[in-house]
Parts: sequence; C-alpha cells; structure tokens
Amino acid sequence: MSDYTVVGQKVPRVDAIEKVTGTAQYGADVHPAGMLYGKIVRSKHAHANILSIDTSEAEKLPGVRAIVTQADVQSGRRVFATDKVLYLGEPLAAVAATDADIAEEAAELVHIEYEVLPVVQDVMEAIKPSAPRLHGDATKDGPNRRGIAAQIRKLSRDKETDHGDELRALEAALEKYPDEVYYNISAESHSEAGDVEQGFADSDIVVEDTYVIPRVHQTYMEPHVSVASADSSGKVTVWASTQGPFAIRSGIAGTLGIPLTQVNVIGTTMGGGFGGRFGVIITHVPAVLLSQKTGRPVRVQMTREEEFLDGRPAPGCVIKLKTGATNDGRILARQALAFWDSGSVSGASIGSTIRVRGVYKIPNLKVDAYGVHTNKSGTAAYRAPGAPQAIFAGESQLDEIARRIGMDTVEFRLKNMREEGDEVPAGGSEPRVGYKETLQAVADAAGWWGREKDENQGWGVAVGDWTNGCGPGGVYVSVHEDGSVRIFHGSMDITGTDTSISQIIAEILTVPYENVTITRGDTDSAPYSTGSGGSVVTFTMGNTAKLAAEDTHRRILELASERLNANVDNLELREGAVHIITADPPKSISLGELAAYSLSTTGGPIVGKGSFARQPSTPALAAQIAKVEVDPGTGRTRVLKLVASQDVGFAINPMTVEGQIEGGTVQGYAWAMMEEMQYNEAGNVNPGFVDYRVPTSADLPTVESVIVEVPAPNGPYGAKGVGEPPITPTLATMANAVCDAVGIRVNELPIKPEKVVNALRSNGH
Amino acid sequence: MAKLPVTLTVNGDEYDLLIEPRKTLLAVLRDTLGLTGTKEGCSTGDCGACTVIVDGRAVTSCMVLGVTAAGKAITTVEGLAVDGELHPVQQAFIDTGGYQCGFCTPGFIVASKALLDENPNRTEEEFRHALGGNICRCTGYTKILEAVMQAAEEVQATA
Ligand code: FES
Ligand code: FES
Repeated sequence: MSDYTVVGQKVPRVDAIEKVTGTAQYGADVHPAGMLYGKIVRSKHAHANILSIDTSEAEKLPGVRAIVTQADVQSGRRVFATDKVLYLGEPLAAVAATDADIAEEAAELVHIEYEVLPVVQDVMEAIKPSAPRLHGDATKDGPNRRGIAAQIRKLSRDKETDHGDELRALEAALEKYPDEVYYNISAESHSEAGDVEQGFADSDIVVEDTYVIPRVHQTYMEPHVSVASADSSGKVTVWASTQGPFAIRSGIAGTLGIPLTQVNVIGTTMGGGFGGRFGVIITHVPAVLLSQKTGRPVRVQMTREEEFLDGRPAPGCVIKLKTGATNDGRILARQALAFWDSGSVSGASIGSTIRVRGVYKIPNLKVDAYGVHTNKSGTAAYRAPGAPQAIFAGESQLDEIARRIGMDTVEFRLKNMREEGDEVPAGGSEPRVGYKETLQAVADAAGWWGREKDENQGWGVAVGDWTNGCGPGGVYVSVHEDGSVRIFHGSMDITGTDTSISQIIAEILTVPYENVTITRGDTDSAPYSTGSGGSVVTFTMGNTAKLAAEDTHRRILELASERLNANVDNLELREGAVHIITADPPKSISLGELAAYSLSTTGGPIVGKGSFARQPSTPALAAQIAKVEVDPGTGRTRVLKLVASQDVGFAINPMTVEGQIEGGTVQGYAWAMMEEMQYNEAGNVNPGFVDYRVPTSADLPTVESVIVEVPAPNGPYGAKGVGEPPITPTLATMANAVCDAVGIRVNELPIKPEKVVNALRSNGH
Repeated sequence: MAKLPVTLTVNGDEYDLLIEPRKTLLAVLRDTLGLTGTKEGCSTGDCGACTVIVDGRAVTSCMVLGVTAAGKAITTVEGLAVDGELHPVQQAFIDTGGYQCGFCTPGFIVASKALLDENPNRTEEEFRHALGGNICRCTGYTKILEAVMQAAEEVQATA
C-alpha cells in the first residue's frame, strides 16, 4: 500500500474552503431574481375522505400568485391527494406567494372539508380483519396457509389423477390457520433454504422472541428543498437537493409528461441524505407545477415539522425470530416472520429480512416478510435499508443463545462465521471477506479479552454486513497548460466522494493532489451518473475515475512519444512529467508543456474519459463493541466506550472513511437508544427535535474507529463502499451491552430509561 | 405587514433596512442580506444550524426577531476569516475532517468560536456539553470535538 502517494492518504477534502466559510451553495441558498415562495397544503387528518377543496379565500390574499391542485397535473399522474388522504400531512395543494410568510398564511386559508375515517397505526393491528382498510380489501395468506394453499393449487391443476382425498385433507389443514390471513398487505417476500423444522428438532436449544424496531427519520440536517424555474419555451430548470439528479430528471419528466431534454436538474450541495433524498414528488414536482403556472422561479422548502410528517423515513417493523443451536455453539436453523410498516404506500425494504442470516453458516433458514399499510407517510432508504432492523433481531438473539449455552459471544460468532469458499444461498461461493479479522480487530482494540466491569456495567458486541451497489457513471479528465488536471462528472458528492475521485486521478496522473480540481455538471451537461446512495459512489465513480485517468495517461504517453521522438514503451509518467527511461542524460517533458504542445498538434487537447457500469461487489463487515453503565434508579444508559471496526477493502482517504464509521455508528446508537417516530389516531405526534431527540455531542463519548483492509477484487484499489455498513450492528451492540450490564434484554427499541426501569422493577429490583 | 426601518451591523458592515417585525434574524440574514452561510435546520431553536454571534454571545438566529438585533454587533460564518486567513476553528475543521455534508458546520464553527472567545481552556468533556445545542447528523461528533480541541490549543498558544 505504501507505494501510493495520494490514495490511502488523509488529504483535506476538495470542498474544504467552501464548507467552512459558508459559501457552499445548498438548495435553500439558491435565489434567482423574482423568486416566489411555495408552501404545500397538507392534510390535517390521518385518514379521511376529502369532500371538497376550496382555494378561493387563499387566492384573494395579497401576494398569492398561484395555487395548484391535482387538477393542474395535466399528465394525470398522482401528485396531490384528491378524494382520500391516508396520513397526516399528505399533500393536497401547493401555494406560491411573494413571501414565505404569506405562502404559509395562504396555505392555512385553503379550506378542506373532511369525512374522518378510522385510523390504524400498529402493523400487528393493521393485519387483522377488524382493521380499517387503506387500499381496498386485498389479503394475503400467512406462511403456513400459504404453503398449504400452494399445494392445493398444484394438485388442482393436475387433471390426470384424482386428488380428492388429499385436497380435502389440505382444506381441513387450512382451517387450522384461520388467523393467518393478513389484511392491508402491500408486499410480501419469502425464501427458504434447507429444512428449518428438522434444524430445530436437531437443536439442543431453541430461542424464540419478538423484536420491535421503530420507524426513524434519516434526519439529514438540510430539509428537502427545490427551486424550479420554467421558461416560456417549456424548459424546466430545477435546483434540487438530491442524491440523484438524473433520477430526479427522469422522475420530473415522467410525472409531468415533459420530454427529458426539457428538464435540467442542477444538484445543489447536499445537507445529508442517508438514502432519504431521492424523492421526486416531495418538493420537486410541486415547485415545477407552481413555476409553470406563475412563469416565475419558485422555491419549495420543507420545515423540520413537514420533514417528520411527510418525509420518507425508515420503516419500523416487528420481527418474530426463532433460532436453534447445539450446546457446543453451532447454529442449525433460523426462522423469521416479519411485518414491515410501509405506511400508506408500498416500498418498505422487506427483502432485507433475509439479513437475519448475518454472516453465519446457517444450514436451515426460512424467512417470510410482509409489508403492511398503516396511516403514515411512505418510507424510503436509510443507510443500509432494512439491515439495521433485521440485524438487530439476529444479533440480539445470537447473543442470547451464547449466554444460555455459556459461550463467549465473540467466540460464538467467530465459530459460526462463513469462510472463503463457503456456499452462498444466492449461488456461487463466499469471496474472501474480513469477517473474522474485523471482529477480532474490534475485540482487540476494545480490550474485549481482558474486559472488566463494575456493578451495572456491561459489554456488548455485534456485527453487521452490507454490500455496496454499483451503477453507471462517466468521468471526463482534461489536462491544462499549467499542468493542472480538471475532472468533470455528474455524481453528487456524498461526504467526500469528490475527494476520493480526485485522489485516484492525481495518483494515476502522478500530479500533486492540489493540482487536481473537480467540477460537477448538471444533467444537461454531465454524463449520466447513478444516484449517490447504496454506498455506490466510491466503487462506481472510483472505478470510472480510474478508467478516465488511465485513458488520459494513454493519451499523455502518445503525445510525449510524438514530442520526444521516443517509443511509448520507453516512456514513463512520474511526478507530473513524462520521462524517457533509457535516456542518458535524462530527458523528460512536463504535463504542462505537453498540454501546451497538444494544442498545436493535429490530435488536440489532452482529454480522457471513463465510463463504467458494473462489476460484482464484495460484502463488507462492521463489528462494534460498546461498554455501558446503566443507572438502575433512572434507567439511563451511559456509553463509556464505543469501538467500531470495519472491513473497508482499502481506505482511499482514511480520514473520510473514519468519519463514515463514526457517523454511522452514532446513527445506530441513536436508533437503539433514543429515536422513534410516534403515531396515534391523529398521526405523527413528535414532529420536531424536542420530542424526537437525536444525539448531540453531550450524549456520547469519542467513537474509536478501526480500519480493516481486505481488498475487494473489483473495487478501485480494493475499496468497498463504506457508508452503510457502520449503522448495521449498533442497535444490537447497545441492546447486548445493556443486557450484560443489568440482565435485561430489551427487544423493543428504543431502549428508553423508563423501559429499563420498568423491566428492572418487574424483575424484582 | 408594515415594515420598520432598522440598522443592522453584520460582520462590521452597516445595513439600513426596512424589515417586517415578524421576520427572524435568520430570515433577514439569508433572504434580505443574502448571507446564506447561516443555515436553517429546524427554525424552532433546537438544532443550532442558524447560530450567529450577537454582542459576543452565540444565539440561534431563528429565535431572534431581526428588528431586535438593531444596534448590536452580529457575526456570521462569513465574518470569521480575516483578510482571507481562516479562523483557527475553520482550519481545524478542515484538518481533522470535522465536517461531512457541512450543513451543520457554520453553526458549529460559530458556536465554537464564541466558546473559544469566552474561554478556550476547557476539557473535551466540557466542550462536548457546551456544544450540546448543535446537532450534526453526519459525523457522530468525534471529529468535531477533535477540531475544537485543536483550535482551542491553537488559540491558547497564540494568546
Ligand atoms: S434553525 Fe435555528 S436552531 Fe435550528
Ligand atoms: S456534517 Fe452533516 S450535519 Fe454535520
């Protein structure tokens, strides 16, 4: 690794100055001349029929320039609710006015007549036949009924033989599970490997528990915002705070029926996203509609309260999990039945339930998962979508088993971890991943093996895995006459990815990092780039950048060979100049000189390009250990130590990698201990930072991060995506630590002080 | 709504303005003066993204009416660098990687500067509590505290 001079180094970020001086331009900082302020009119009920929408009084307010409702959406695609609302805060109309306060007043003056309907917020209630239905009467069979029903369908298709008796038996069997018909189901997912029943039968110990994980908000610090400007030719320009400008472009074009070329999306500096900043409808489409109607630029900016009401947070879920193991610590079987709260629309990450499997050899596994409608806003990705929830269940239960069979919880995990070459259920075999190295590393760094604790103190450990995605991207590189290098691309910087791209290109072109600058184009000018989510950027854009730099490198040597009159094979690019290896005395030409020379050649300026789509990625592991102290009187948990290790493949910039590990771990901590979006009949009842507490520096100690590097074969320099893994194990790490401290296993997050106190009381404390 | 004539002093510059009494100092700074370095994260006084210094004290500008800031010395993130030279806190945030998305950063930098002006001689634990009014969702605070400790050292060394 030490051969590299720029990658692998803690260089300052490319956007350092703008970020610390306040000049970086975020969405709400965009202010074109004549701009109007938009405000969305929202439902005041969690479930209601809409009888009428009257905008006449709002229209009369001085300063109001336009009001749009679904009637203004010519494409007919749903933007605003019309006859029914399914959650508190659902958009019904939008107003544009000359001033933000006027827009807010006008929104209040839009009169809506409701017929209030019964509400359901709890997933376990929503699946019952007595629950109000959000979308018609669709039902789904539970896993047992489902299996029998499938058998019945199969037999009845067979017309050759008479299956009368069997069918009657199956029908009777079906009646054993009348409660297994679920209502309000938005989606389902099922998978099975081996024979779980046999696995449980062979086990010495079987543990079964129900885990409840709350819905939490990504809580990026910059609320959603867009500024749209539609001109008289029909061209629409949108300054959007988004992780994926190209997705927003096609989303706006598709929703409003505008040709793709008539939409230009300019991605503004993003104030955090964590997966929650891909939505098209939330602010972008209303802003465009208002601008089209008024002929003026319009900014639609959400308040923090609107974020909680109508953001797209991470789904909560209920997971019933059962695990069987032998007394000598081998896991034999695991079965999960999960209900994910997908809110008013489908889309919760129910497929992630399979992650209860973790990184262990589990020969028998069965997973059934359902998405369930409730009267809440829809959900979206949040840092490793679905994984923290499933891994909380999986890693809590493993801990419990280790405890009961009297085995060290780290050793228990090490014993069951998959190894290189093991078969993986999706097909193929396990690549080399630093599962064991990463767990060992955190155990060593935290002092696990010699750990000590006083009364009411405890240690918890957990691991979580995630694999980065990838997608298409393009990068251009040009070399200028002063020897500087300029990069051009269209991918959103997500906490340091522009820096990694710049480092890679500086490394390959052997120029000082300071001489490399990077420009982001809008969707009109830049090559397509996949969205900045799913930990894709370093993998995808890193590979793209590498290809672009190599292409540039080729062109440089070609020009140098012409200029120096030397064979390409005898040339070497190093320290920003091309040298003739064999020349004595040494002969070379600098990149600046070459760039200047290129302008007078028939070939033209030095330009390189890279484009890339996909290569198989390699899983990454995060392993964490917490030491806590629980005050049995107040139930408060104080973190004394929090150590996080992660197999990152290769850290292109260790400073930003550590930052990802620290930040993700703290988000996981918050999910475990503090955060929960609360709902009742009225809808969300804690839409602000006073009642929805996120951690501040006062809540936490320093997070110690440990970087483990087991290279990914297809990653740039071996790098893997680092953003998502660190949030995955922390929920269980904390629960396991609290359990070790006071003997109480909290399976329903967050671990609030009152829960701990109550549990201690009922345990006779 | 009737507007009132107000003179504001921001980063040493005087502005004669006509502002509505209901506008917050945050709205005046951002919308009227175009000083958008100060951020709006909640507008309820709970996140610290809008922190500015008024007469030497860090305040959340979303909780202050613009008209009440008349005659006071206001410093925003735009006013910290002197003659192109970054304030030690700004430099420290760069050196340690104390920011990620950067949205909370102006608030943290301004709040930290106010704390350092008041008393740079604090322990990390004391800074952790003193900065408890500012939310950062990205960093987990470890590198922010590193930055503040580095700046505190620097400020004390040059005092
Ligand atoms: S915007 Fe003022 S404290 Fe959040
Ligand atoms: S750096 Fe993103 S909120 Fe602090």
